Amino acid sequence: MRIRFLHTEAFRLSAIYAGIFALSVLVLGSVVFVMTDRAFRDQVVEFSRADIAAMRNGYAAQGIAEAQEVLEQIMSAPGASDFFLLQKDGKRVAGNLPPMAPRSGIVSLPGTGPDHDILGAGDFLAPGLYVYAGSDLQRVHAAEREILQTLAWLFALAMLLAIGGGTLVSRSFLQRSDAMARACRAIMDGDLKARIPVRGAHDELDRLAGTINEMLDRIAALMENVRQVTNDIAHDLRTPVSHLRQRLERAREESHEAKDYAEALTAAIEKTDEILQLFASLLRIAQIEGGARRADFTQIALGPLVTHVRDVFGAVAEAGGHHLELKLKTEVSIRGDRALIIQLLSNLIENAILHTPEGTRITLLLSRTEDRAVITVNDDGPGVPREEHAKLFQRLYRREASRSRPGYGLGLALVAAIAELHNADIALRDDGAPGLGITLSFPVTLPSPQAAD
Amino acid sequence: MRVLLIEDDRETAGHIVHALENQGHNVEQAHDGVEGLARARAGEHSALIVDRMLPGLDGLSLVKQLRAEGRQTPVLFLTTMSGLDDRVAGLEGGADDYLVKPFAFSELLARVNAITRRRSEAGEPTRLRAADLEMDLIRRTASRGGRNIELQPQEFRLLEYLLRNAGRVVTRTMLLENVWDLHFDPRTNIVETHLSRLRSKVDRGFGAELIHTVRGSGYVLRAD
Repeated sequence: MRIRFLHTEAFRLSAIYAGIFALSVLVLGSVVFVMTDRAFRDQVVEFSRADIAAMRNGYAAQGIAEAQEVLEQIMSAPGASDFFLLQKDGKRVAGNLPPMAPRSGIVSLPGTGPDHDILGAGDFLAPGLYVYAGSDLQRVHAAEREILQTLAWLFALAMLLAIGGGTLVSRSFLQRSDAMARACRAIMDGDLKARIPVRGAHDELDRLAGTINEMLDRIAALMENVRQVTNDIAHDLRTPVSHLRQRLERAREESHEAKDYAEALTAAIEKTDEILQLFASLLRIAQIEGGARRADFTQIALGPLVTHVRDVFGAVAEAGGHHLELKLKTEVSIRGDRALIIQLLSNLIENAILHTPEGTRITLLLSRTEDRAVITVNDDGPGVPREEHAKLFQRLYRREASRSRPGYGLGLALVAAIAELHNADIALRDDGAPGLGITLSFPVTLPSPQAAD
Repeated sequence: MRVLLIEDDRETAGHIVHALENQGHNVEQAHDGVEGLARARAGEHSALIVDRMLPGLDGLSLVKQLRAEGRQTPVLFLTTMSGLDDRVAGLEGGADDYLVKPFAFSELLARVNAITRRRSEAGEPTRLRAADLEMDLIRRTASRGGRNIELQPQEFRLLEYLLRNAGRVVTRTMLLENVWDLHFDPRTNIVETHLSRLRSKVDRGFGAELIHTVRGSGYVLRAD
């Protein structure tokens, strides 16, 4: 753990922040230090100039003696400069500094030690009459050392906070990513219900955990789907395959002429086709439920599509003594898979044709609400009792009444799968009127400029 | 007709070869994608039958490669029934038709015939004719022996498809896919119903029948 958090993203980030923070404290500190130093020195020079000005006034009023008098007064007064010199023609008249080479302006002197250098100003009161006032910089140096020390402490404290904070943050990050890893490992070890803990902080890690959990749910649903299909295939292919086997066996025992064999073979091929069809339907449902086809969605105008379906099945309905009527109340487009929507509607209409008596009226209706395209397939046949409604869309569910007819109960399961793929809701009419009414409502796609291409 | 079959499953390939040779076709075989591509490039074939799943180079890439090289040999694409998206992918990739395995051999033969015809046709005809039956595709009219025949749009499309394939067997599935845009096996007898309606308009009262049922295969429009 101690080594590992050095490799975490959170730690790297906090180290970078600490670095930037340190650099800015350093720059800020230097600026403060330079400014303070300059202010201190300006003040020292200011004092010196004030003292020199006082002496100049004295000299101007009553000559060199008065200047000397003023100098001595200032020297004994508190809060003035530390060092003075009044020299005439290179000889000291008054003050506590040895004579020196006269320079006017700001003048630095070495002083008595490395820490005791002198800063001050010099000027000529008259030709040959030079005056100098200056102060020991030791106090300035001391103050500056104090400031430097404070800055250093601040810097150290800032670094400590940055590193400590970073460590804490990365440790908590590590704990949470460890929890994620543990959950993933549990799933790999077979606990498919394990999920990543979500802290409820709504931060990026929580969002990531949420997304991963959603993904796991989806995978679990798909696996359940696969398991279901495998079961269905295992159970429901057994019956037709054993029928096929029995027929072939009987043909071998009982056929005597070529004609008998030919008939038996034709029947066997038909039965095989039926089995393959069932197999294909189960796979198709599974594949649609897998949702892989959404990538192929295109914009579909439903008006022409339902008209086409009516035209295709109208003749079949009529031939069976049914009436298939189309009601187009609107024109509306959805995004979807054209072939699958046609198959969905075909399934519903074929159901109505196959499971209702002659004379039944079947209505295909296209309408829309604010944001849904609604397709309804209605009939006034015998209908389905309400308690069976929920079971109708299950795979391989067959109503008692229809068990004698060919089919495997996959039609409506396929309808449900296709509807689900298109985010469409299915509702069964429940108004007590005779017959069965199935309503599908698809989300409408507003024709956008891109969709029109 | 010289057909190149590219199929890795030797048993399936054997059956297909047998069926095609029975029809008098000359069949060349390849058992993986790379060999198939080489043979397709080397020889002149009337049609290619290409399996979707092939070792070496998959069928879709093979067809795309051939088309990219400008080779226009008609291709029938074989897909497995779980490959729901293969139909669109195959046709977009340059195949002329597709067939879902397992299939009846009559279906395979009819499709191979249909795709080779399609390629030999130059341009799009505006009029179709068989014996005394005539269709004007632009004015959307049909007549037989000079007598006008009133057709519903669905009937028109069905007759047009039969006429375009005049003399060749078309299967139920071919009709379902090409005339009604139904890519599944319906439970009601759509094909039979529509054909019987069409027959009553086109064949009844005109003497010789043009639309014939081919037992176990499909239908054919043929002037005897």
